[in-house]
Amino acid sequence: MSDTGTALPYDEMLTAEGEVRPHYAALDNRVASLAGEELAERQRTLERFFLLQGITFTVYGGDSSTERIIPTDLLPRIIPADEWATIEAGLTQRLRALNMFLADIYGDQQILMDGVVPRELVLCAPSYRREMQNLYVPHQAYSNVCGSDLIRQPDGAFAVLEDNLRVPSGVSYMLANREASKRTFPGTFRLAGVRAVDRYPDLLLATLKSMAADWRPNPQVVVLTPGVYNSAYYEHAYLARLMGAPLVEGRDLVVHDNMVYMRTTTGLKRIDVIYRRVDDDFIDPLTFRRDSGLGVAGLFNAYRAGNVVICNAPGTGVADDKAVYAYVPAIIRYYLGEDAILPNIETYLCREPSQLSHVLANLDKLVVKAVGASGGYGMLIGPHASVAERATFAEAIKADPENYIAQPTIQLSTAPCLIDGQIDPRHVDLRPFILSGEKITVTPGALTRVALKKGSLVVNSSQGGGSKDTWVLAGDTEETQP
Amino acid sequence: MMLARVADSLYWIGRYVERAEHMCRLSDVMLNATLDRTESAAQVARIALSAVGDADPAKIAAPYEAAYALTLDREDAGSIASSLASARENARQVRDQITTETWERLNLIYLRMTAPDAAKAFTDGSSAFLHDIIGDLHLFKGAADATMSHGEGWGFLLLGVHLERAQLIGRLLEVCFRDARDRPINDHTLLTNVLRMSCALEPYLRRYTADVQPRKILEFLMFDEEFPRSIRFSTARIEEHLTGVSRYVEAASHGGPERLAGRLKARLQYADVENLTLDGAAGFLTTVLDECAAIHSAIYETFVAYSLEMRLPA
Repeated sequence: MSDTGTALPYDEMLTAEGEVRPHYAALDNRVASLAGEELAERQRTLERFFLLQGITFTVYGGDSSTERIIPTDLLPRIIPADEWATIEAGLTQRLRALNMFLADIYGDQQILMDGVVPRELVLCAPSYRREMQNLYVPHQAYSNVCGSDLIRQPDGAFAVLEDNLRVPSGVSYMLANREASKRTFPGTFRLAGVRAVDRYPDLLLATLKSMAADWRPNPQVVVLTPGVYNSAYYEHAYLARLMGAPLVEGRDLVVHDNMVYMRTTTGLKRIDVIYRRVDDDFIDPLTFRRDSGLGVAGLFNAYRAGNVVICNAPGTGVADDKAVYAYVPAIIRYYLGEDAILPNIETYLCREPSQLSHVLANLDKLVVKAVGASGGYGMLIGPHASVAERATFAEAIKADPENYIAQPTIQLSTAPCLIDGQIDPRHVDLRPFILSGEKITVTPGALTRVALKKGSLVVNSSQGGGSKDTWVLAGDTEETQP
Repeated sequence: MMLARVADSLYWIGRYVERAEHMCRLSDVMLNATLDRTESAAQVARIALSAVGDADPAKIAAPYEAAYALTLDREDAGSIASSLASARENARQVRDQITTETWERLNLIYLRMTAPDAAKAFTDGSSAFLHDIIGDLHLFKGAADATMSHGEGWGFLLLGVHLERAQLIGRLLEVCFRDARDRPINDHTLLTNVLRMSCALEPYLRRYTADVQPRKILEFLMFDEEFPRSIRFSTARIEEHLTGVSRYVEAASHGGPERLAGRLKARLQYADVENLTLDGAAGFLTTVLDECAAIHSAIYETFVAYSLEMRLPA
């Protein structure tokens, strides 16, 4: 177990007294009835499913390259209906407020005038896009696809660790894990009464269409991918296939007279909505990074002219900035007059002198993150770092305090995983996906990321993380269980 | 209507799988024939390797090593492994356009070819290894046929298959009979193996009995209406699929690929087969191969790399 010194992590399956929680009983019984070899066989079935589907990444080594699957754990993570209801309400509330926040800062900037969020924190953030100022976004839906990272704290309550409002990925794993777990535990799955996630692609399509519906009937939707070498390419192709939308690359698109067209076999076809899986910086070399070959020259002007919709809107990153994060509860209160249903993790902003001195004095207890970085990079996990590492990091913080925030060492909950043939708890987080267009929808499921290394708290797939299916239970079925 | 890039990829998947299948067959026939150390066996190796464009005498003398490289050498862009990797890479780029069933078949072949034990599997039983790949490629085509909509994308896939097939058979025949006047081929073993390389032995025997003659082979592989690997059969399919995919493109009919394909089809359909000579056949094959190359370019210019100025809305 990790040595954070504080409370023991919450275990998804077992109570502190070691008893199996009711919603895990069916799975626990089933697993107990299977011999180690049978479990291993199911694990192999699962891995073969991913390999055949091509849900892989390529490892280059020596003179050959091999295909590897992203590690996937056999045992589903189960969330009871009442807990999900809280998550759903909390995420809906949060995204509503964040969309309003984006509409405001790219509009009248009332929240900045009222001093609720520091002006320079927003306007000086690299993810703030001046180009988005006063641009009409239908339904004020800036972040059409949002994937928020939740963790479960030792007391069992969920909290938001991070919002991903730019180009969140991972939803294909939610769907593929579900396909796979229906094959590996069909009986238990049926008994448990799991809510379906397979509406996600058509709800995504409806969300995207709702972004153009007010000016063009039956809009043409496309998915824009950086291409086959992108690590999330599988997901781009998967979503395009399930939505029935063309998967386009920058080189397939042409802008003419502020309209966007794709090159088809029969000529140019007008496009209305672009679900882009390319970062802001790369979508239009004329507006953003000039060295980008992934985007389309003139795309942003076509967007400004109202002839195409880009989803998610450029500039949403300013609202999932790690420093702005600290203000989200205040943002929710400001726009909705409500308290946040899902709490934040306590966050210290190094830009504030009083908080900076607290951070520097307690580096051995805190996790420090660079505001601009993601994917587990550029961070210091105080309790695990050496004295020298902490000293180096302290200098970096002092040199550029605005670039850093700090949080207490968080404790992720654990869930049972199949590790080398044995059931063993590993730390997990939870990434549900929220769609917002004309309305906000939370898909009843999520990507559960697993830190497969014992004791590790880092769940990112770039650093040895895996994933597992997430079962959200339907309430009434729950009651019929023993 | 589909993305131009996607149509291009589907077309190339068709070409690559057809190429891989053909080369598996050439390698297999060559390996089998050269188990005997006869003069006709050496001729089989010469023809097989010339047909893939590599008639190096050293390679002809070492058919096993040549087949090994032709199958597994990823450095060689013309190898079976490279063709299958390219087919699969193209399929990955249009993963949203092909059915899961189709994708899985192709992905499986690729995984088998690139598995760490592929070299060992080839060494242990090259014939079985090649035979399995051919079988898997048939499964791929079957899955595509049975699960994909037979629309535009399908049309481009099959255009690739048949154009490649016509060119491969054309090249094989050209290699066999180009020098027929100076070096007439009468060796029964050699002729039978040429039929095997075209997967044509059994259909030929049913049609002409075991009377295997160069002129009849040419007649069968060039002009037979029903045999799926005859050039006539392939050109009829090329014309058919081009008509299908050209339906919405005005530029495709006049002067474009459709006209070229129609002309080539007619050339084979109405050829004077009765009076065909081995000499005449060589010239005919050259024309066919040139026209296939012209169709390939015309497809590219009409559907994929057309100039934007011509197609911009007014």
